[in-house]
Amino acid sequence: MKIGFIGLGIMGRPMALNLIKGGHEVTVWARRAESMQPLLDAGAKAAASPADAAHGNELVISMVADAPDVAEVMRGVATGAAPGLVAVDMSTIAPAAARKIGEALAAAGVDFVDAPVSGGEVGAIAGTLSIMAGGSQAAFAKARPAFECMGKNIVHVGASGAGQVTKAANQIVTGMGVLAVAEAFAFAAKNGVDRSKVREALLGGFAYSKILENHGQRMLDRNFKPGFKSWMHEKDLNIVMQTAHELGLCLPGSAATAQMFNAMVGSGHGEEDSIAVLKLLESLSGQA
Amino acid sequence: MKVGFIGLGVMGRPMALHLQRAGHELAVWARRPDSVADLPARICATPAELGRCCEVVFTVITSSADVEGVALGENGLIEGMAPGSVLVDCSTIAPEAARKIAAQLAGKGIHMLDAPVSGGAQGAIDATLAIMAGGEAEVLERVRPLLDCLGKRIVHVGPNGAGQVAKACNQMIMVAAIQAAAEAMRLAAAAGVDCAKVKQALAGGSAASRVLDVMGERMVQRDFAAGIEARLHHKDFGLVMEAARQSGVPVPLAAVVGQQLNALMAQGWGRDDTASLLRVLELQ
Repeated sequence: MKIGFIGLGIMGRPMALNLIKGGHEVTVWARRAESMQPLLDAGAKAAASPADAAHGNELVISMVADAPDVAEVMRGVATGAAPGLVAVDMSTIAPAAARKIGEALAAAGVDFVDAPVSGGEVGAIAGTLSIMAGGSQAAFAKARPAFECMGKNIVHVGASGAGQVTKAANQIVTGMGVLAVAEAFAFAAKNGVDRSKVREALLGGFAYSKILENHGQRMLDRNFKPGFKSWMHEKDLNIVMQTAHELGLCLPGSAATAQMFNAMVGSGHGEEDSIAVLKLLESLSGQA
Repeated sequence: MKVGFIGLGVMGRPMALHLQRAGHELAVWARRPDSVADLPARICATPAELGRCCEVVFTVITSSADVEGVALGENGLIEGMAPGSVLVDCSTIAPEAARKIAAQLAGKGIHMLDAPVSGGAQGAIDATLAIMAGGEAEVLERVRPLLDCLGKRIVHVGPNGAGQVAKACNQMIMVAAIQAAAEAMRLAAAAGVDCAKVKQALAGGSAASRVLDVMGERMVQRDFAAGIEARLHHKDFGLVMEAARQSGVPVPLAAVVGQQLNALMAQGWGRDDTASLLRVLELQ
């Protein structure tokens, strides 16, 4: 398939590479021209603009930072689109913003799918991302072969915006999950109990989770390299809290968690992995 | 002085009337002109027209976007107000929005003060509002005689935006105090103790506060008719949380209180008083 790809950061670059490996004909565009080079070396063509990345392609995919960036590149895509183009945004943005972008694209005759991912840089490189999609059945079907090059667990959740709702739900569970494991470890340590033994014991029971297993191990190793940067997790939790505010939805656990992430960013741990929340807990209880 | 007023709701109407009674020449603009037909004021067709005939313009409206629209939008104040005239915005909006509007107006030589108020509808009627002002000190001094018609405590907090920061701090403390009063009332009732007696006892001690006086009494009486509509506190908490986020400052208590307000909104009590936080606790 002929695919345009916009946004070649930590996530976008390996995702686009996997499309090339999957045999697709890929045209790339990025704000910083030098970030396009690795893709051009791998056989991609360079586009001059988002509109150019859409031009002549059946599918165009964006992987950028935030809602205003998505809206901007998709405005360009709309001007370069041929009839029948499907546009896919795999960034994490607010559900309401995704729906609005979908409506604007629909007015230009472009079908839109919001398809945020979970799995981080490791998943992007390995092509094992979880992909949660919102949009029409036909648009999802058209994008599916591309999704299969980038991810494993690919779910069409519902209509436009449903992918972003799912991603926000994912961030609620992972945000609180990381905090829960960090609190359990702080609790064990303050009680003079070996946290690695606690982790080992818990892995066999109902407290088992991937987060306890993976993030828990990294907490024990005190390996705070990202992974997933805490400022990005904070950004995603802000999407959760803003949406809850707009809907009149009471989320006390998420609210408390979001403040811990807020404090993490404010105290200079934003570039570290989310598990740095452990350090914050330790300093609050004098465990440093 | 020729004074303009935009936003003649529960707060704005008594404030405008105080200015008029103090001998100032009042002009008003409202989206729905029939809502101000009874006022002893010149009724203008647009904010720009209002701006042209006034030396000082007050705004008391709901959101950042509303203030921006009235000040900077098509037929906005910026098109009519003369260099040297003053916009006094008494709305509660984001500090950032206040700074942006002030900067744009300054480009045309128009001064602005962010001057949000605290004290509710009763404070507006009694002219006892607390007014927290952000902007240049000499601009505040020029309009101080007008503000003296509206409130008792007028504090120059700092440059543009500082008034709104103070208001956000005010809302954090006030609504958290309402939540605390509600939890105390709920606990007393659940323990089979007379809430009115508890409130009376506390009023003499270290837990005494204006919120416990006013909102606590509403809770005891189960009078949830709005003094200040809870939806406005809910809106303000959006501003508080965004400000905390931008500064990277944790506000764990405000975050939890904000969630109780979300629950209140979900129950459809947004137009009732914030004392309804008691009713949210009773759901649990």
